[in-house]
Amino acid sequence: MALVSDGLGPVDERRQRVVESVGILDQAHQERLDRITRMATVAFGVPLASITMLDGELVRFPSAIGMEARPMARRDTFCDRSVRIGGSVVSRDTLTDPRFRDLALVHADPPFRFYAAHPLCDPFGNVMGTFCVYDHEPREFDERDQRLLAEMGAWAEVEVLALAEMSRAHDAQVSMLPSAPIDRGSWHVDGICLPALSVGGDYFDYALEDEVLHFGLGDVMGKGTAAALIGAGMRVALRSAHLAVVHGADLGLVLDRLEQGAASDLDRAGSFVTLFEGVVDLTTGNLRYADAGLGLALLVRADGSYEQLSGGDLPIGVMPGSGFHQHERTVEDGDRVLVFSDGVLDLLDDPDDWMPPLAALLHSADDPRDVLGQIMMLAIDRTPVDDVTALVVCRRPAGRSA
Amino acid sequence: MTDFDVRTDARGIGIVTPKGRLNMVSAKQLRTAVAELVDAGTTKVVVDLAETTFLDSSGLGALVAGLKSARQAGGDLRIARPTQQVVTVLGLTNMDKVLRPRESVDGAFDG
Repeated sequence: MALVSDGLGPVDERRQRVVESVGILDQAHQERLDRITRMATVAFGVPLASITMLDGELVRFPSAIGMEARPMARRDTFCDRSVRIGGSVVSRDTLTDPRFRDLALVHADPPFRFYAAHPLCDPFGNVMGTFCVYDHEPREFDERDQRLLAEMGAWAEVEVLALAEMSRAHDAQVSMLPSAPIDRGSWHVDGICLPALSVGGDYFDYALEDEVLHFGLGDVMGKGTAAALIGAGMRVALRSAHLAVVHGADLGLVLDRLEQGAASDLDRAGSFVTLFEGVVDLTTGNLRYADAGLGLALLVRADGSYEQLSGGDLPIGVMPGSGFHQHERTVEDGDRVLVFSDGVLDLLDDPDDWMPPLAALLHSADDPRDVLGQIMMLAIDRTPVDDVTALVVCRRPAGRSA
Repeated sequence: MTDFDVRTDARGIGIVTPKGRLNMVSAKQLRTAVAELVDAGTTKVVVDLAETTFLDSSGLGALVAGLKSARQAGGDLRIARPTQQVVTVLGLTNMDKVLRPRESVDGAFDG
């Protein structure tokens, strides 16, 4: 909750939150709104339609057909007038309509001579903007047209609110990921998470505590918000065990505890979680890890040889009480570790034979950023159907600094 | 969309055969199909995966859910004839420990 007001009234402030969430629309999202405005131009036989949002002293056009989508000064717009009038507004000839005839757009070339709008409201009933159709000629607009406009306006309202909600959920999830790479002595850690939907069931996490690096990656069965909620819980539970792990707690036992705590939630949701959790003592290179059915972790040595960091344990929530086990390795100078979700497998030519290409990628890359960049390029080329998440831990060769 | 063939053989064992991709959409159908068999008293179920070309975590989830409900009802769920991709997924997740692939549908409940 904002404790400092920006001077806007409570209505404007609430409206502003929705507008800002919708404000940064990517191409795919904008297409969802364009579909409605495009349909309106066909249904009413008009050249122009827009979804118009009030944004402080401006109006913005998350979707506009037949007209420029650049923001405009609020006072110069039909939208501002119609919001002041309230409800659905129809002006069959704007030039003779005292409510609109002084607007510059009415006298522009070509002129905006017909205007009809339906208000778009947030869940509290505050007007966020309008769904509008326009024509360069005066025209009739009968009762059937008005009903149709109201229907399409209601549809646009649902889409705008859904996009705002998705965008906020996405932001919330992104804010839980580590915000910056770790660069400590000869160690370098970084990760990416590209959800297939706005929010996803994958997460990665890393943190440094007393020269001990914790890193983990989890993949919750399913997709979208439901999976994201479970993933968020898992991450917090694992973070709360960091200190105990630094002081020697066995990672297998940590996962046993985690499963005890999460089993009933997972059972009710009909879900389970595959995850990898590792800790490295940065002074010695001693690596401890546990793998709960993720199976997608590679340790690539400085000479290019590699091994899968597997554990043989089941995913969390499949057979509660089956037990998890800690394994140990040593990460030497020049060694690298990659942990990733199965969405990455979809990006490979042969997902069944993933170790050689990923080991080669890890071995030949300049640094973690380069590894993640190459994975991201694959994701852009192949449009993954599942979340793509990856985490890289590198120990630089001896004698080489950043 | 995946097609489902659901039948019960002479020994009273339910046989479900998903065809095509077993993902988020079709996983729900598989859950329903197994749940209906178990609720109707057919607690031994074989999922024949010979025609399942792709299995993701949702599909795996449906198999686990079916396994749990069948065992709770005193029966079991077994999988038969998985394709290479399905074997890979089962191996990566170590789920082949609880869902050991069987070579045939008819012999899935032998031993």
